[in-house]
Amino acid sequence: MLRTALVAFFSAASLQAQDGGQLFSLYCAACHGADGKGATGGQFPPLAGSDWVHGNAARAVEIVLRGLHGEIHVDGRTFNLEMPPQGAVLADDQIAAILTHVRSSWGNKAEPVKSETVKAIRAAGNDRKVPWTAKELLAIHPLPASEPPIANLTSQIYHGTWKDLPDFSQLEATNVEEEHDGLISVTHADRTDEFGLVWQGDLVAPESGTFVFRLDADDAARVMIDGKTVTEVRGTGPMNGSRAKQGKINLTAGPHKIRIEFVEFFGQESIALAWKGPGLPSWRNLADHPIEAAKPSIPIQPSGERAVVYRNFIADTTPRAIGIGFPGGLNLAYSADHLAPELIWSGYFMDGSRHWVDRGQGNQPPAGENVVKLSGTPALPSEARFRGYKLDPSGNPTFMVQIGDQTLQDAWKPGITGGKPGLVRSVTAGNGKNPLEILISDRLPMKQTGDLEFDLGSEIQLHVEQALVESRDGKSFLKLAPGQTAVLTYRWK
Amino acid sequence: MTFLSKSAITCGLILSCASAQQQSDFYTREEIPLPAGEVMELGSIALMPGHKVAVTTRRGDLWICSGAYESDLSKVTWQKFAEGLHEPFGMFWKDGWLYLTQRPEVTRLKDSDGDGRADLFETINSDWGINGNYHEYAFGSDPDKNGDIWAVLCLTGSFTAESPWRGWCVRITPDGQMIPTASGIRSPGGIGFNAEGDVFYTDNQGVWNGSSSLKWLKPGSFQGNPSGNVFYPDAPNMGPRPADPVDKSRILAERKRIPEFVPPAVILPHAKVGHSPTAIVADTTGGKFGPWDKQLYVGEQTKSEVQRVSLEKVNGIYQGAVFHFLSGFQAGIVPMRQADDGTLFVGGTNRGWASSGTKPFTFERVRWNGKTPFEILAMGAKKDGFELTFTEPVDPATAGSPESYSMDAWTYIYQAEYGSPEVDQATPKITSAEVLEGGRKVRLTIEGLVQGHVHHLSAGGVRSAAGGKLWHPEAWYTLNEIPD
Repeated sequence: MLRTALVAFFSAASLQAQDGGQLFSLYCAACHGADGKGATGGQFPPLAGSDWVHGNAARAVEIVLRGLHGEIHVDGRTFNLEMPPQGAVLADDQIAAILTHVRSSWGNKAEPVKSETVKAIRAAGNDRKVPWTAKELLAIHPLPASEPPIANLTSQIYHGTWKDLPDFSQLEATNVEEEHDGLISVTHADRTDEFGLVWQGDLVAPESGTFVFRLDADDAARVMIDGKTVTEVRGTGPMNGSRAKQGKINLTAGPHKIRIEFVEFFGQESIALAWKGPGLPSWRNLADHPIEAAKPSIPIQPSGERAVVYRNFIADTTPRAIGIGFPGGLNLAYSADHLAPELIWSGYFMDGSRHWVDRGQGNQPPAGENVVKLSGTPALPSEARFRGYKLDPSGNPTFMVQIGDQTLQDAWKPGITGGKPGLVRSVTAGNGKNPLEILISDRLPMKQTGDLEFDLGSEIQLHVEQALVESRDGKSFLKLAPGQTAVLTYRWK
Repeated sequence: MTFLSKSAITCGLILSCASAQQQSDFYTREEIPLPAGEVMELGSIALMPGHKVAVTTRRGDLWICSGAYESDLSKVTWQKFAEGLHEPFGMFWKDGWLYLTQRPEVTRLKDSDGDGRADLFETINSDWGINGNYHEYAFGSDPDKNGDIWAVLCLTGSFTAESPWRGWCVRITPDGQMIPTASGIRSPGGIGFNAEGDVFYTDNQGVWNGSSSLKWLKPGSFQGNPSGNVFYPDAPNMGPRPADPVDKSRILAERKRIPEFVPPAVILPHAKVGHSPTAIVADTTGGKFGPWDKQLYVGEQTKSEVQRVSLEKVNGIYQGAVFHFLSGFQAGIVPMRQADDGTLFVGGTNRGWASSGTKPFTFERVRWNGKTPFEILAMGAKKDGFELTFTEPVDPATAGSPESYSMDAWTYIYQAEYGSPEVDQATPKITSAEVLEGGRKVRLTIEGLVQGHVHHLSAGGVRSAAGGKLWHPEAWYTLNEIPD
């Protein structure tokens, strides 16, 4: 009896003095890591050194209370996971204890969080029923304003057409501005094509040691410290991580001259620059655009002479899409919802880096070129049911559809007609009672150009054997008698 | 004898010999080598004839492993049988076919030309909706006694029902019909049978789930999340749509208002027991994996554990206790499968959902070495307490003393918000502990049991007759019903 009473007493007592570290390991460490660096080697957002947990505690309190959905940039990287809301699970004093722990661990230095603060933020936002997005939250609680990352920053604009960095010392700037926020930005230019920008300022190394700079740009850019080039991105191209460069330099503690040169040829323009090193445990942005780590593509391609299958969410068709990549760079996305080939394209088949990374959110477009959308509505009467597919020894598929008492077989393989590669489709109607009408396209005009030749839209030449085709109301159909096989060849003009 | 006396001396010195029980004393956990260079984030495991084991991956591959039962795992070989599957979470072998529950459909596939690769992929049923949202997962069971496959369909984004039959359990018959079977599902992590053939699934903490739990898919039942109830008009076999639950209520109160509501059989208290329960396996090996005959093993993704559940039926409702069991797996556990020889095959992935095990994916097996740990084998509810069954005789002095035990109890708010704190805390008083059946059982008499509450028992003071401490002294019993 006494023992039981004591246990009860201690449990009650422990509820009042929350142990932030213990609560963190119970509720948070699985994803954020016991060391705050993000679980599984940093595949989840780190809290150690993160701007998100510093400064005004309200930002972190809101995330814990109401969760966070969608992309978030942390420590120079982009994450797209889900932070489940904890407001209905954890009490105010528990959240305060956890965040106090987070803000004072692993090198983090920020004020403790009071239970009353959590209570007030909870009460103020009680009408919010969905998790935050990073963008929404930053509009209310921006990341901590620090000293301008680059002191005494100026920008010089140059007009001209360059596909790579010119010798700016031979050129005359059209304008010079002081940039008091200390962040480089392409918005400092007065135009969006055919220009150069040179920024100069003072960068203060917090301690002596080796510093790393990461640079990415659309188009070319170079970073120089004390007159020495640290890293550069040359030529034209997109800023998507694929051309990002990294360079190291030893610096003594204190100010150093930084110079960044940039040119934009045509089209999109952007620059991203970040640094880290002694005294800067996480990437610190020097540009208004966070730097993206290169997202390596995961090419999915036929192996040898065998076609490859990819079943997942393919952009611009339906969720039950079946992608087939044939040898020779011909590709098909068949919709098992619409029972129709909806996309055909040439070149690379698919990139797995959307669905095979993190939770695999969203639709992945074809990786290749000349994507043609053939149709986007059901190809057969509503009683038709998808019954799967079979693969021949080369991996070529035959899709099977049941329509009442008959089975329709829709076989695809690569082939050559008229000296050009194409996709050869053999459609066979089962031995039913009635003829079948199968949608070929609900959007591409079909025009007869020869004996068995048709133009399907502006890109595709369609060769039809052993069947009738009919166009009406902007749609084209294939007519099949019971037991009949039609052969259609799709090729790019 | 020499060894024993040595241990006794060591124990005497450190005064904690009983805490020495550890997993490797009883179970051997081994990683099964995976095909080199492949990303094997496992979603399902099936046993095939000839000691072959098939696995599917989240990337959509199907591989067949030979040698997974052999003592020398370095000789394991793999053969790629199929690719291009859509995130399968459920697979079994029957009559020459592998049956899969894929995200969009139930499929069966086989190699009809004998070249070692599947060439026939027959869609059995694809009547449920998907809209491109990654959370619209489908977990499928083995066939039941009628040959039906049960599939549980996660809500859209784990919150809403934007595609047909989201939030439902459906049965797919061998002739391809889909039968709506239970509503109220949120975000499943696995589905399986108990030893009697009733179907259970695990559902994750979130909206209308104060904590994760193991739930009984009684046909016709409502499982607690009303989002999918919009589909009742399309399920005439299910009767009229149940009343909507009242927000911020308690499950016990809402059960009285909503007759279709079957409460969670065993709540797996959030954070204390786990974060993400997954696969369900009933031990029907007749004691080849320890004395846990007919109990359930439940995978825990976040903690990379296997937990153990003892179930009973009281007043027609399942309930029971969860115990910590096996740990140390290398990634977050998703599929499990137990072979007739007792071997437990376990697959793991932590892509998108973190886990204590730090590898991105794993395939492991666990075997029992024949030694039985000192554990609470089962916990059963009584009118005025609980009855504990132990795996070996207890020490009558410690086990017979109420001070060797402690108990606290709580429930959760049943609400539309995400999760719940533990609420309505109670401290039931253990007034007596009576040792029965030669020390195999202890009858706890308790004042203040609370219907509907999780009753957390700690039996840290109990010693075995040989003087040992319990390997896992804690149990969490969900008291849906108090027996008469």
